[in-house]
Formats: sequence, C-alpha cells, structure tokens
Amino acid sequence: MAAIGISAASISKRLGRVQALDGVSLEFAAGTINGLIGPDGAGKTTLMRVLAGLLRPDSGTVSCSADGVATPFSEVRPALAYMPQAASLYPDLSVQEHLDFFRDLYSLPEAVYRPRASELLAITRLEPFRDRRASQLSGGMYKKLGLMCSLLRSPSALLLDEPTNGVDPISRREFWDLLYRLAGQRILVVIATAYMDEAERCSRVHLLDRGRVLSSGEPRQLLAAEGTAGFDEVFIRRARQEAA
Amino acid sequence: MKTVLMAFLRKELSQALRDPRMRVLLFVMPVIQMAVFGYAISTEIRGIRLAAFHAPNDATSRRLVDRFFASGWFLPVPAEGGDPFSLIQAGKADAVLVAPEHGLTRSLGRGAGEVQLLVDAANAAKARAVEAYARSIIAAAVPRPSGTGPAGQGIALDVRVLYNPAMESSVFMVPGVMGMIVCLVTIVLTSMSLAREKETGTFETIIAAPLSVGEILLGKTVPFILLGLADCCLVLLAGTLLFSVPSRGPLWMLAVASAAFVVTTVSVGTLISTVSRNQQQAMLGSFMFLFPANLLSGIMFPVENMPPAVRWAAYFDPLKYFVTLVRNIMLKGGDPWVFVSNVAVLALMAVLTAALSYRRFRRTLE
Repeated sequence: MAAIGISAASISKRLGRVQALDGVSLEFAAGTINGLIGPDGAGKTTLMRVLAGLLRPDSGTVSCSADGVATPFSEVRPALAYMPQAASLYPDLSVQEHLDFFRDLYSLPEAVYRPRASELLAITRLEPFRDRRASQLSGGMYKKLGLMCSLLRSPSALLLDEPTNGVDPISRREFWDLLYRLAGQRILVVIATAYMDEAERCSRVHLLDRGRVLSSGEPRQLLAAEGTAGFDEVFIRRARQEAA
Repeated sequence: MKTVLMAFLRKELSQALRDPRMRVLLFVMPVIQMAVFGYAISTEIRGIRLAAFHAPNDATSRRLVDRFFASGWFLPVPAEGGDPFSLIQAGKADAVLVAPEHGLTRSLGRGAGEVQLLVDAANAAKARAVEAYARSIIAAAVPRPSGTGPAGQGIALDVRVLYNPAMESSVFMVPGVMGMIVCLVTIVLTSMSLAREKETGTFETIIAAPLSVGEILLGKTVPFILLGLADCCLVLLAGTLLFSVPSRGPLWMLAVASAAFVVTTVSVGTLISTVSRNQQQAMLGSFMFLFPANLLSGIMFPVENMPPAVRWAAYFDPLKYFVTLVRNIMLKGGDPWVFVSNVAVLALMAVLTAALSYRRFRRTLE
C-alpha cells in the first residue's frame, strides 16, 4: 500500500455568491493526522470536497503523490476514503446491511472483509447493534458506523468531514484512538472539525477562516507563535479585532 | 462489476420492499387502479378506417359506401388483398364492409340484401360506435319501401365483432392500464431513489467510492427494471384473473415488449433524477412526464382523434407504443409487423434516454 500525500496549490472556489475558498495552499504529508480547524463557514467542507474530487476548483490544483512520486488523482482515487459531513447512511438499512453493501461496493474479497469487519466492530463496540437500523442508532454510533464504512477497504488516505460533530465525549475519545491506530499504519488522515480541543490531537493543524489559511503547522508551535493557550482563543481574538 | 451490481440490487430491493408505503405503491396500487380503470370511458369516435369490398358494377353498394364516407365518421382505406379479415388483423382498417358476391342490387331484388361488417373490437368503445354508425347509415341509405316497416328493412347488417366479441371495455382498457401502471411505478421509483440519495447525502459517498459512472448507473437502474417487470407480471395476472382479459399472443412477445418498455421508463426516471436535487423535484418531474404520457398514449382517447400537432407529440410517447403492443399481443395474438416496429421504436427510445442520462450524470456535486 502506497503512502499517499496530497498538496493543494492556491485553490479558489466560489459557491453561488460566496467565495468559499480563496487561494488555499496546503500540504498534507503521508502518515500524518491533519486537522482543518475553523468556525462554521470557514470553507472546511468545500476544501474536503475539492480534495475528494467532488468539486472542481475554479483555479488552483490538487496534486497527489504515492510514495513520494507524483501520481494522477484518478490513480489515487481508489485508495481514498471520504466520509461526508451530512448524514450519509441509509436510515432503513441495518449496521450489518451497511457493511455488506460497502463490502460489495468496494468489491472486497471475503478474506479481507471478515477480519476487517470484526476488528472494526470491536473497536467501535457496535457488535451488539449489528441488526439495528441506522435510523435507530445514537448520534455517536451513527458517526462510528459511517467511519466504519469508509475504513472497510483499508484506504491510504482518509478524508473525514466533521466526523465527531454531535458525538458524546467518550465516543469522541474512542474515535480518536481509532484514528491514532490508523495513522500508525502510514495512513494520511485529513479531519475537519469545529472542536478546537481536537486540534491539539492532530499532528498538524491548518487554521481556516473565510476561505483563507490563517496559519499551518504543528499544534504546539502554532499556539506558541500566537501566544495563546488554545485554538479557540485564536479565533475569538480575530473576531474581536474585526469587530473593533 | 457483478458484486457492485449485486450490492445495489440487494440494497435497493430491501429498501423498496421494507418500506410499507413502497409496498403499497408497488403491489396494491396497481390492482386498485386496474379495478377502477377497468370500467370504460367512452368518447365519440371519428376517423374510423373503413375498407369496402364490393363488385365494381354494383351501384347500390357503391351508393351505400359513399354514404359511409359522407357521414364524416369514416375514412376510406383501399380494400386490397381480397381478404377482409387480414386488413383488420394487420391493423390497416378498423372496419370492413363486405357486400354480397353477386352485388347488393341483385340480392335486394331477390329480397335478401345482406351486408357484412367486420369490426375490430380490440378497442371496445370504438367498435360499439362503429356498429351504431353503420346501422344508422344503412337505415338512412336504403329508402323505406312503400309499406310501414322499419327503416332499412331492405338491408340486413351482419356484424362480426372481432377479438372482443362481447365488446367489454375492460378487455381493451386493461392492457392500457397495464402500461400506465408500469410507467408510473418505474419512473417514480427510479427518479425518487436517486433523488433520495442526493437528499440524504449518501450520493456523496457513492460518487466518492471507486466506482465507474456505468457501475453506479447500472446499480441504480437494474433493481428498478426488475421491480418494473415484476409489476408487469402482477398487472397481467390481475387483468386476466379479475377481468378475464384474453391473452392470445405468445408470452415471449409480451416479455420482450415489457422489457423494452421498462428499460425506457427507468432511463426516463434516471434522466429526471439527474435534473432533480431532492425527492420533491423528482416527484414533480415525474408527473410532468406522466400526465402527458398518459393522455397521449391512446389508452383513453384514440390517438387518431387528436389534432395533428398533438398527434405528433404522441409519437414521442413510449407509453403509446407499449399500449399498442400489449393490445395487439393480448387481443389479436400479436401481428409480427406491429410487434417488430413498435418494439424497435421502444428500443431506440431506451438507447437514447439511457445514453442521455449517462451523459448528464455527474460525478461531482456541481
């Protein structure tokens, strides 16, 4: 499995009358957990969709590399898993039926699928709820099922759009444990989140506001440079400066 | 490819069959509609294609035939081939008038004037009207003898009602309703299913998955083609059991016709979903197609009665071809030319709509 890196060069994207992305340049290195941090409307989802190939940027380019070698997106795409922010499961299908559907959708052989599914069910502790329909799962379970579906096919890059939004703190912690285990397997993780405390868990954070990158780097260094104790303060301070 | 198709097949079928509303739409509504529409709607009939067989020197017959065409209800069709029955079988004429072999003048002279009228009752309302018109024309054409007998006494009309001897309207309505129901169910189901994926966001997951556009489209259409064919069987069964509609043609013809039609309507449904963002829009789009399709199909109003511009639009209605096919196969036993030409048009429509929806299908969210 190749280690995949993605780099975005001055991406701009206008959605209707809103300039959702305004010259975003970011580097996502293989095997790192990248946090896209920013308030609502910062452009996190749009950037995610551009990275996943679901939106075409008005200008700028997304380039990919596999093991350090430049590779066209179409070849990277099969190794890319994307978990959209919106509810993206079938309410009338059970947990098990979701797993079956995605197994076939990704054409996974039984030998790969079986250990993978039981491992994921164990980690997410959804094993007892196999037969429960997605509409009857709690918010946290629902998100975990979505993540499970994206992880079924051992991707090399994982794009997660606010996967922990509305999830209880305990489930969120489990979620992050899962991400750490994955990053240990040289998987590139890009995670968009509005929770500032999650930023500190990432290996790199990219602060986004109104379609622009404010700063980008290792969380502790960024905080030191800004002279604050937490990321929420960075945004609050900016908001105050603008109000003034 | 096969596993992807199976994945969609299993998912779509369990989603469709699990939802009680869907079950009603698929299996209860068709039977109810069939029962409601099975009873006729009769309208005035014009443009009845009439062929007349009579000896060239038979003046009385010629006068009678002229009266038929002067009435405005009938259109002349050349009486070729010499076999009156084959004209109706091939759908070239709706009615055939046959004068006695030795001329009507002579038989009347002998006091035994008899004219035979063959009527195509595959459309019962039309057949009934044809018979009534013919009786009134003959009554007016033959002068009342000096006596007090009833009008038209001189000529006896021997009417042969073909294909639907009892002239039951259900016999010709049921094949039409069959087309209507299958059309409704497949288009609504297909367009709503893709629109629902867009609405709930699952569409994003599917287009982000490593699948080709062809795989996604086949996965989202084949299940509905199968459900549509299942509905064809159900409606056919209900029609033959409830209304004892005969099924004279071979079953394989019905199967081929249904397959061509269902592929077309499912492609139309897919096309509608490519321009819809949510289920309401898909529903609206479906009905914008379904209403004209039903009205122009000839199920209730004969296409021949429509003004030229509207008739022209009817040629783009897949339902018209399917209804023609089902009526011809079930009631007349399936004329090879009617079968081949109508199936060919449906197949062409299926290919065109499928190609168009393939072109319009976007793998992005724009």
